[in-house]
Amino acid sequence: MNAWLACASVLLVAGLFPVVWGVATGSLGRRVVAQNFGTSVVCLVMLLLAQGYERPAYTDLALVLAVLGPVGTLVYARLLADELGESPSKAQLPTVLAAAATVPVVIASCVAAGPGRAAVKLVVVGVLLVAGNVISSRTLSGAYVEPSEARHD
Amino acid sequence: MLGSLIAELLVWQVSLSALWLVLISRLEPLEVFAGLGCALLGAVAAVAARRAVSGW
Repeated sequence: MNAWLACASVLLVAGLFPVVWGVATGSLGRRVVAQNFGTSVVCLVMLLLAQGYERPAYTDLALVLAVLGPVGTLVYARLLADELGESPSKAQLPTVLAAAATVPVVIASCVAAGPGRAAVKLVVVGVLLVAGNVISSRTLSGAYVEPSEARHD
Repeated sequence: MLGSLIAELLVWQVSLSALWLVLISRLEPLEVFAGLGCALLGAVAAVAARRAVSGW
């Protein structure tokens, strides 16, 4: 086991334990935030595994997760708009944690990959992950609800 | 109006082509042609979506 796989293992356990706890307990908004955080954790684990096993194809899985994870959260936010609108959830902490974990993982992967298109691809994955987290957390906290669409009952 | 439409299509075409070329693993002529074609489809879809949302 090299350092990449050790970091991936630590991130998987340390990240998914609070995810499972958050998904299984608490309010509906908290559960949606937790599943969104779960996709970020698995995305970063895939980036680390791609380096650990020297299989660049795993980066594609991270790319797909970075795109579809926030999109899935937006679908949840749309379908559960009524329930989530009653108690907007605070998603700042998971977003900050995901961004804080994304930066070192992407930088380390870029250094390992060396300059070239592979490094640019890793940066694209990182930017997509952080941007998706910011957009989905703002959506879950009700930032994009029009005043005319807000519930008044 | 036509000029802005073509400019918008070109911006999408160039940016989507660049994204395709970054994300593929090997640079081959066939991959580049496929990327340019997909980027054109994506550019048309993006402009159509923007027009559908904004009205024009």
